[in-house]
Amino acid sequence: MNNATRTDQAELDIVLLGQVDETAVSIVAANLQAVMGLNTRVQPPREKPEYAYLPGRGQFDAAKIIGALADLENMAPFVLGLTVFDLCTPILTFVYGESQLGGRAAVISLQRLTDPDPELPLLRAAKISLHEVGHLLGIGHCWQPDCLMHFSSNLETLDALQPQFCSACEFEMVRRLQTQFPKE
Amino acid sequence: MTLSMQIMVVDDEETICEALAAWFAKDGHSVQIANSGAQALECLEDCLFDVYLVDIKMPGMDGLEFLAHLKEKHPDASVIMITAHGSIQTAVEAMKRGASDYLCKPFDPDELSLLMERILANRALRDENFALREQLMEQQEVVFGGFVAQSEIMRELFTHIEDVAPSSTPILITGETGVGKEMVAQAIHMHGEQAEGPFIAINCGALSETLLESELFGHERGAFTGAVKARRGRLEMANYGTLFLDEIGEISPKMQVTLLRALEEKCATRVGGSSPIETDFRLISATHRDLPQLIREGRFREDFFYRINVITLGVPPLRDRREDISALADYFLEHYIQKTGKRLEGFTQRALGILTAYGWPGNVRELRNVIERAVVIARGRMIGAEELTFLNPAAADCNLGALTLQEVEISHIGAALETCNWNISRAARQLGIDRSTLNRKLKRYNLTRP
Repeated sequence: MNNATRTDQAELDIVLLGQVDETAVSIVAANLQAVMGLNTRVQPPREKPEYAYLPGRGQFDAAKIIGALADLENMAPFVLGLTVFDLCTPILTFVYGESQLGGRAAVISLQRLTDPDPELPLLRAAKISLHEVGHLLGIGHCWQPDCLMHFSSNLETLDALQPQFCSACEFEMVRRLQTQFPKE
Repeated sequence: MTLSMQIMVVDDEETICEALAAWFAKDGHSVQIANSGAQALECLEDCLFDVYLVDIKMPGMDGLEFLAHLKEKHPDASVIMITAHGSIQTAVEAMKRGASDYLCKPFDPDELSLLMERILANRALRDENFALREQLMEQQEVVFGGFVAQSEIMRELFTHIEDVAPSSTPILITGETGVGKEMVAQAIHMHGEQAEGPFIAINCGALSETLLESELFGHERGAFTGAVKARRGRLEMANYGTLFLDEIGEISPKMQVTLLRALEEKCATRVGGSSPIETDFRLISATHRDLPQLIREGRFREDFFYRINVITLGVPPLRDRREDISALADYFLEHYIQKTGKRLEGFTQRALGILTAYGWPGNVRELRNVIERAVVIARGRMIGAEELTFLNPAAADCNLGALTLQEVEISHIGAALETCNWNISRAARQLGIDRSTLNRKLKRYNLTRP
């Protein structure tokens, strides 16, 4: 991972996998910027990730997608994939998002975040993005039930999260960001 | 706070192993991967793990065979079998053979998350239980000297304890006050099948009938004045453990009937309640009374007696094992030296002679308190006859002038209270004073029950 200087350079690239609602993209980017202070850039949309499709399950393998994202060249140090296709892993029936712990790439899906309230899916997307990027910084799951790093296995738990880190995780996030992107 | 665990994943599919490893790493657990049962067994030569996730279908040694080997090495292992939807029957079979649970892949995130939470909670409880039991054992050793005994009669008792402990039959422990009946009960519990469960004790002689009923059976809110909330009874609390009823000879025939029904039906109804609560425990009772005599006098029910007395264990009085007195005295001396910080080196021969010759009506408990008192009032480096004058002033070469009147009075009152098991009325009668005078002296000398 390159240690980029925190000036105008993008620290995180959002890569759209297929067509994704622009508002959702803007909300995710804004939250990453505001909550984590990451210079975020949105890349042009790419094709549907057919290489990751699992016909037996009718879903896309998140592990394969993040593997592909991590191999992309000429990108920011962190890469976050955004998609509307349903994600899973070899062991789990579905995931809202997946990431490499202390790695480079993560992906989230908006597929299962829908709700009659139009604002709720956007808030959910923001939370999951912040959670997965937290993992990219090497932060594990938090036992505090309302911290962004608490594991959410369902929407009820996800909605109970505050859109912020607990003090311990925030301290850790700031420390790791300073290490990753030292200020001039 | 999340406890971190050592997890082993045994699966021939590398993608499954990696995915599980990545998932657990985010919770702070460390994961060892093995792609076959044989490889996993090799890893177990070096260390054991907190949780094992084992695929049922593997080439060569399958999950069930690995489970059998694992249980030999690690009987308490928490094992989760991973199965595909077609082999749930095998997973259930695995649970009968000791697996804790099973999961069908792919797993629902909720299911996996809840399962791990449950395993963590069980582990935390087990660790806490173990720590508390160790603490209790330590305290017991300090207060009662453990089973400090070299005599033949006590070695026979230990053998009997080992013989009867593994079964669940009710036991009646007989013996004088202060011989260590509760210690024997605890030893039976710790050596028995109920060792993992609670040890719940109650002194039936210390409570009125109403209070005893509430203590034993619990009560519902509003059952009587002052019952502001529901409370579990000791019978309920003893579920899957041991219930120790001390001084069982003191309970009324009416309470004996109520208890007998509860013991036979294995359930208890709270005072003020209507629904019986199932409870299964091993019953140990103790008494210093002659229950057959009480039966003849009509004060103890014969059917209740036979219910609590399938096996009888008699604990000998201290005077019947005088060869243990010296070792016990040394043990208590060491304990109280550490407690008080006093610099004492031991007993004079004369003091040992007095201790060995004394009748010890209060048995080991009295001996312990005598040593404690002796340590407190000792002036030299040795405990001599002068520190034991209240036991046998005539035999001591003591100079009573070296002790103040107050010290003599304190010693004598203490000895009387010990003999009477701190029953104030009885002790007052023995001392030849009235109860209120004794209470004033207790307050004045700050004497309290240890």
